[in-house]
Amino acid sequence: MFSDYTQGIMIIACINMIAVLGISVLTGFTRLFSFGNAGFMSIGAYTSALLTAKMGMPFIPAILVGILFAGIAAYLLGSLTLKLKGDYFLITTLGFGEMVRVLFNYIPITGGARGLSGIPKYTTLPIAVICLVLAVIIAWTLIHSKYGRNFTAIREQEIAAESVGIDITRSKKMAFVFSAMFAGWAGALYAHNLMFLSPMMFNLAKSAELTITVVIGGLGSLTGSIFGSLVVTLLPEIFRSLANYRMFLYGLAVVLIIILRPAGLFGYREFSIRKSIAFVKAAPGTITALLKGKSSKDKMEARK
Amino acid sequence: MTPVLEIKNVTKNFGGVRAIDDFSVKIEPGKIHGLIGPNGAGKTTIFNNITGILTPCNGTIIFDEKEITGKKPHEIAQYGIGRTFQNIRLFSNLSVLQNVILACSMDAQYNLIDAFIRSPRYRRMEKQISEKAMSLLESVGLDGNCDEIASKLPYGHQRKLEIARAIALNPKLILLDEPAAGMNADESAELVGFILEIKERHEFTVLMIEHHMDVVTNLCDYVTVLNFGKTIASGTPAEVKKNEHVIEAYLGGAEGC
Amino acid sequence: MFLQQLVNGISVGGIYALIASGYALIYSLLGFSNWAHGEVAMLGAYVALLFTASLQLPFIAAAIIGIGGAAIISFLNERLAYRRIRENKAPTMFLMIAAMGLSIVFQNGSMLLFGAKFQKFPPIMPVSSISIGSVHVGVLDLLTLAVAAVALIVLEIVITKTKFGLGIRAIASNTATAGLLGINTNKMFALVFAIAGALAGMAGVLLGLKYNVYPTMGNIGLKAFIASVFGGLGSVRGAIVGAIVIGVTEVMVSGYLSSGLRDLITFALLIIILLIKPSGLMGVSVEEKA
Repeated sequence: MFSDYTQGIMIIACINMIAVLGISVLTGFTRLFSFGNAGFMSIGAYTSALLTAKMGMPFIPAILVGILFAGIAAYLLGSLTLKLKGDYFLITTLGFGEMVRVLFNYIPITGGARGLSGIPKYTTLPIAVICLVLAVIIAWTLIHSKYGRNFTAIREQEIAAESVGIDITRSKKMAFVFSAMFAGWAGALYAHNLMFLSPMMFNLAKSAELTITVVIGGLGSLTGSIFGSLVVTLLPEIFRSLANYRMFLYGLAVVLIIILRPAGLFGYREFSIRKSIAFVKAAPGTITALLKGKSSKDKMEARK
Repeated sequence: MTPVLEIKNVTKNFGGVRAIDDFSVKIEPGKIHGLIGPNGAGKTTIFNNITGILTPCNGTIIFDEKEITGKKPHEIAQYGIGRTFQNIRLFSNLSVLQNVILACSMDAQYNLIDAFIRSPRYRRMEKQISEKAMSLLESVGLDGNCDEIASKLPYGHQRKLEIARAIALNPKLILLDEPAAGMNADESAELVGFILEIKERHEFTVLMIEHHMDVVTNLCDYVTVLNFGKTIASGTPAEVKKNEHVIEAYLGGAEGC
Repeated sequence: MFLQQLVNGISVGGIYALIASGYALIYSLLGFSNWAHGEVAMLGAYVALLFTASLQLPFIAAAIIGIGGAAIISFLNERLAYRRIRENKAPTMFLMIAAMGLSIVFQNGSMLLFGAKFQKFPPIMPVSSISIGSVHVGVLDLLTLAVAAVALIVLEIVITKTKFGLGIRAIASNTATAGLLGINTNKMFALVFAIAGALAGMAGVLLGLKYNVYPTMGNIGLKAFIASVFGGLGSVRGAIVGAIVIGVTEVMVSGYLSSGLRDLITFALLIIILLIKPSGLMGVSVEEKA
């Protein structure tokens, strides 16, 4: 149906979205930052890849074990460090990510810096899409249950959240483990897509990219995160001819979006078909308003 | 009658400063108890010790016949103590309705699996929570504003929303930290009526910090006056007003209200 | 051997300290970690390099221009990006994300402008090391140490003894109140960014002298960030102490264990310190008032 090239990009997009959804729950809904999620990705990737490549385990159980290991690592790290505030917590996640990377560089079983090859190609487009749909359903359900509400309460007002009986340590740990498990999931798919792993793939820049994507998409919006992820994955492909300028333009776009659209593309609201139809119906008026130079804020109002 | 809340000999130091000094009080059920005193007397520190934000250096706090000294804030909330804050702390970017729903998490006795399979239990509880939140908003007169963003509400409404959120815990005791702060005479008079009314409807006990003496006089059954972390007087509002220590504390320190 | 390593470690730490103190200054005023700060150091090094290599200016003149350039770039970051974000009343985390964006822009921008190759300053010292007894110490290390020490002492005096420093401390303790007291906070922010930029530029030039100048050398900002967290966010003295501890640890681990384990041990040390002292070595734990 699609060319190999298109399929390849679509698989990468699905994988990125899964990792980004994890950060969306953590940063967009709980306002915790992790610059260590590339580390959790690598745990999922290496665990599952070693299981399939060296021990011949089937794909699905290998993914599950990868997710589990990433989750356990997050649980242990979170138990130690979630008491820390703000940037202090952030830097422990960053340190963790870097430590995992150095460790995978160092221990022989992962192939060290030369990388791990011979991983079977199990991640096909249908599998990637099914995983993404499943991930969206899980994240959506979590966010719309009491657990997600507790996350939101912590984001909005930690002290008030405690005062209405929310165990904030437990909720934070849950969000953190959740985001790590999604990262591990993405990592497992990534390993069996690329068929090769090297610790350098999971560096700080990768972790930062996940967070930036969520902010661009808009905090507190799952659809925004998915859309942001699509933009971050696809734009560079569209501007392939500008390969050298790619990262430069990406950085510039991040700064401009933060300055000009502080709420991100979809801050605090979800994209909904019903509202979009209402928007399209109201479009003639909105377009004239836009032509008269109204700001994009009014456009959002109109969509509401 | 056994008191709802009993504070016994609580002391709290910050570095070398003694913020609360051997403080004891008993709060009778169904009453409104006022805590007054000049700025810096240690009133909010007492609230923070009761609600677990701070842990007393010495002494015990007993709520509903259980010792709660040193428990975590969320545990104390779960025991049934709700509170409001001096500088209002709402979930500012969320709607009025969501603010109350977020406070109902204790009513949601379902687990992750219930949520994922949308079990009957999950649906029933979620429905109950929405209904409860709506009826609470009706009860405080904010049902017409339920879709508004909390931070956009007028000041007086924000105070009411914060009280509604505290009531969502089904508390036995509510701590109000300067509910009339920043209100004029008319607004405080309305607040007095409001507090009396919801207190009757939801049957809780109140411990409140307040500077407006008219609010204290009209609301409180009993008043404890604090200065430099120590109780200097207690009794009915009429009694403490005549107390010479109180007059001295307020008039002696020129910054008294 | 050990002494030599120690001097080397302290001099690396001195470079970290120049950047870390800027992190701390900016954090103390605006409450965010300026992730673009390492790139400011990198740009300072490039400016100095351009002036020595293409304009044949004497090194000292070029170094001063590089430091000035870094100060201007840092000031422009504040003026063109951070200030607008503050005016949007966006949460402070947006400042951090913008800084990350800026760091990507600077790193890739200089890759486009100058290429990815490693470049060297022309040698400025006749001898590379001097011997005191049996100990050989790098001249450059000593120079670095001296420059960093003088700069940081001046910074300390400015913060503690001058009216300007008082203004900084006033804003750090409460921005709104300081504004009400008639302190022009925007002007102060601009000045602080310029000062932090100058210190970073100095670090960049020194680093370029010691090693090379290349577009990703700004990643050193990460080490400085760690140092400032280590010392306690917002504390300039803490940042300096943290920087020296990290510099010495790195050199010692590389020298006696393995350079591959350097980052692993630095980060492990950082996490352990934070578990024992959750607000860093000299940070003040801020209890939010309910």
